[in-house]
Amino acid sequence: MEEYAFFPGCIAKNVYPGIEKATRIVFEKLGIGLRDYEYSCCPPPGVLACYDKPSWLVMGARNLSQSEKDGLNPMTVCSGCYGTLHNVWYALKNDPDLMGFVNDHLGRIDAEYKGKVHPIHFVDILKNYKEKIAELKEIDLGLNVAVHYGCHYLKPSSVTGENSERPTLLDELVGLAGCKAVPFKDGLTCCGAGGGVMSGEPDVSLKIINTKLNNMKDANVDAIVNICSFCHMQFDQSQKKLKTTEIPVLHLNQLFGLAFGIRPKHLALHTHLVSTRDLEKKLKDLKKGGE
Amino acid sequence: MGKSVKEILIDGNGYACIQCGRCTGSCPSGRECSLRTRKLIHMARMGMDVIKTEELWDCTTCFTCQERCPKEVKTTDMIIELRNLAVEEGYFPTMSDVPKIIIKSLYDTGAGQPLSPEVSKIRAIIGLKKEAYDVSTNAETLKKFQRLLDGLEITKKGGLR
Ligand code: SF4
Ligand code: SF4
Repeated sequence: MEEYAFFPGCIAKNVYPGIEKATRIVFEKLGIGLRDYEYSCCPPPGVLACYDKPSWLVMGARNLSQSEKDGLNPMTVCSGCYGTLHNVWYALKNDPDLMGFVNDHLGRIDAEYKGKVHPIHFVDILKNYKEKIAELKEIDLGLNVAVHYGCHYLKPSSVTGENSERPTLLDELVGLAGCKAVPFKDGLTCCGAGGGVMSGEPDVSLKIINTKLNNMKDANVDAIVNICSFCHMQFDQSQKKLKTTEIPVLHLNQLFGLAFGIRPKHLALHTHLVSTRDLEKKLKDLKKGGE
Repeated sequence: MGKSVKEILIDGNGYACIQCGRCTGSCPSGRECSLRTRKLIHMARMGMDVIKTEELWDCTTCFTCQERCPKEVKTTDMIIELRNLAVEEGYFPTMSDVPKIIIKSLYDTGAGQPLSPEVSKIRAIIGLKKEAYDVSTNAETLKKFQRLLDGLEITKKGGLR
């Protein structure tokens, strides 16, 4: 069985546990194993990498080292975690001196990172399971959605190898759940949460997301679909503060959970700040219609 | 490990900048506030007090400017390095204490965003363990983790003392 070390990250564990749950359900259904480890926070690329890069590198490397003895690559459901772990992995891989520095620190707690396992974003696993996802689909969700690629899954492309200006993967993936990715203005811009801006400069952060949310609203979407717990939190929490839009927010694994017939409550949709009630009603009607 | 502004410019290819402004034009943050990416690069090159500017902390590190720069200037990488230098020199962002709170939580629990009793309840209702399995599950592991952070002197740099 294909297996990964599951790196849930703080937000999916401690703020939006529906993301952790949805991920476990979706991966179990797909027959992909997830193993837990004694992970710490990634740590955050915005706050920590900007304050103290050496600490960021060492803590990131400690996390990467956890599953090395088992040879399992850590999988993230948050692009913030992915940005940290992937950039740490990339920096260490290309710099033996830096690897030495990191391992001097890790040595004090009897840990070591050799660079043998590397982080992977969950969508890069899902993209190899398109047929299986289509097979498992019980409900054609039929929603018009705004897909949010976010920043750190795509960029910097010199490190990620992705096409950062014209990505198509998410448009395809939501299609497997019977949804349509609707184009909207400035579709690829940042959610405004990263870089410590959400915590350090909240007004600026809200202005950035407000512009984005209004562009999504103009496209008349039923939901926002994201692939990052941190963006997810920004989309959900900021709408409560701004009160100008009310677009339900779904992590991609929650969307697939719904398409696989999992009850919304089991995906913790009722705990989102922006109500998902209209969305759920639509799905109920669909289910009835299909019976 | 700290770099000087000059070293940051060299490593980030900042001297190749032709001041075309594509970075500023691409910046989602600059549309909403006074951050001007091109200007930061200019200030750094002119030996101006770039690390004291508050705009340095308005960047979301979205990497759009770095992707689009025609001269392959590593703008975002440089902003991150400049922030590290600013912290080292004592120029913390003044707007909010939240970054400090996050660093404290990181030290105490291993999580930047700690678990609240409410979310713990939700976890149980949806069939997850009340607390996720992580660095804080095992007291010994958490102690080791804190020892690692002590060695990095993170609590000093976070301005927590
Ligand atoms: S896009 Fe590049 S070359 Fe143009 S101003 Fe910005 S950093 Fe300089
Ligand atoms: S990385 Fe920072 S400076 Fe560059 S475009 Fe994004 S927010 Fe603006």
